[in-house]
Amino acid sequence: MNVIGAKTLLAKEVRRFLRVPGQTVLQPLISTTLYFVVFGYTLGGRQESVEGVPYVQYIVPGLVFLGVANNAFLNSSSSFFITKIQGTITDLLVAPLGPPELLFGFITGAMTRGLLVGLLTWAVALVFTGAHLVHVAGTVVFLCLSAYVFAVLGLLAGIWAEKFEQINFFPTFLMLPLTFLGGVFYSVRHLPEPFRTVSLFNPVVHMVEGLRAGMLGLEEQSLLGLGLLVGLAVGATAVAWQLLRTGYKVKS
Amino acid sequence: MPAVLEVSTLVKRYPSLTALDGVSLHIDEGEIFALLGPNGAGKTTLIGAVCGLVRKTKGSIRLFGVDLDVDPLTPRYSVGLVPQEINFDPFFTVRESLDIQLGYFGQRPDKARVDELLEAMSLTSKADSPTRALSGGMKRRLLIAKALVHRPKLVFLDEPTAGVDVELRRDLWAYVRTLRAKGTTVVLTTHYLEEAEALADRVGIIDHGKLLLVEDKRSLMSRLGERRLEVHFKEPVAALPPAVVGGALSADGRVFSFVEHSGSESAAEVLALLFAAALPVADVQMAPAKLEDVLLKVLREGERT
Repeated sequence: MNVIGAKTLLAKEVRRFLRVPGQTVLQPLISTTLYFVVFGYTLGGRQESVEGVPYVQYIVPGLVFLGVANNAFLNSSSSFFITKIQGTITDLLVAPLGPPELLFGFITGAMTRGLLVGLLTWAVALVFTGAHLVHVAGTVVFLCLSAYVFAVLGLLAGIWAEKFEQINFFPTFLMLPLTFLGGVFYSVRHLPEPFRTVSLFNPVVHMVEGLRAGMLGLEEQSLLGLGLLVGLAVGATAVAWQLLRTGYKVKS
Repeated sequence: MPAVLEVSTLVKRYPSLTALDGVSLHIDEGEIFALLGPNGAGKTTLIGAVCGLVRKTKGSIRLFGVDLDVDPLTPRYSVGLVPQEINFDPFFTVRESLDIQLGYFGQRPDKARVDELLEAMSLTSKADSPTRALSGGMKRRLLIAKALVHRPKLVFLDEPTAGVDVELRRDLWAYVRTLRAKGTTVVLTTHYLEEAEALADRVGIIDHGKLLLVEDKRSLMSRLGERRLEVHFKEPVAALPPAVVGGALSADGRVFSFVEHSGSESAAEVLALLFAAALPVADVQMAPAKLEDVLLKVLREGERT
């Protein structure tokens, strides 16, 4: 494996988003914080409690997840897509960089941005709700797994998209419904059937529940949910590996 | 001399086009090889197939003796490409772009090497400028620096001097000769035939995806090249010496034109005959053989076959 090549790509990816922190870190941090303020402190959020914790505290794991998932996805999708559009994909194709190096660089770079925004969101939330971290290991696993899955999905989107219209399709038509229907602002366990069962097919539900269990000690961590996410991570990685190996949409 | 690149019966088919139609070629270590042909002939596709930008349909490619079907990555550590299309990453400076490129090829940061290339490409003053602030010619030079920064043994230059001014073009030629002197093999495509003429050891001519000819440049020029001799007389000449075969005297008897080609008398011999006959020569003009003419001739013959 070309270790220096993979590390160089990762360093480039991180430097790329840090060059425009207002767009890549601050903007998502503000929008997620606004969700927190609007949903947590207005709309009656101050009075309600869910599963024994104040609603404003209940939504923190979901909002941290939103920051992680959205930014991991946006980083890998936009970075790979822009690399194709501006032609610098040539640099990657000519160099001795195979699927392992490319996956490492793009995914780890995207995870870094996702986790940075997620952790900053959490830091803002702590000011309002105080510190709550029941299971450190579980929280770390679900944070990293969420970042990883969405980084790979973003990479797949970046590989597939050929036009700006196509790359803009995903945040609106995939990310928004998946996250808003994924129990970020509510517990899907309390939904009436068949919505409850249908929701369980949404991987976001398991990511949010996993984080909620880790951070607040609520809900049992579902091994089935964890298995589903690991399966999704492995499957998406295998597809991305194959697309990069064959040069899908990047080699003529 | 060992071949650094061996291409065998390479075919690249697109749904509506055969871009490469059974191309076989070997490039020897240390040579400068010019690949010539009109737009759409298959030059860039051939280079792309070797450099990992194009998926071949059939055939085999061996780089440094390694079959790319078996190991597509290891040989790439020693290959550099200057692509035809200008590309740049606007997030980074010129120096950062070179550092990144060096890293992609598995090499640790090397300031001295980057400085050397910045100097060679006249980009030192722009080292810390963002790449988007460079002019078109500077961006082209940055592409060349990126292709060379990891000290490749084989370099592909696909139209390297398009949009580069004359002075820098000459500098680049000098740099390519320096590379060759250090043992680097260079494969060049260019629209400036003067460039191929100045640099190449061997020439390949490709059209419609077929390699029409591969030959040593000097032997090609002497075989197919034509030199034009034009002699102006001070006063009209009624007749030429009988020993002068070929050529034509103008109607007013003031200009004699002669085309030297393979198998004909040499222009020098004809000139010697004119002087020996004490004709009133006022001026002699000689137009050297042009690779451009050779290219057109080969392409026309290719069209006919």
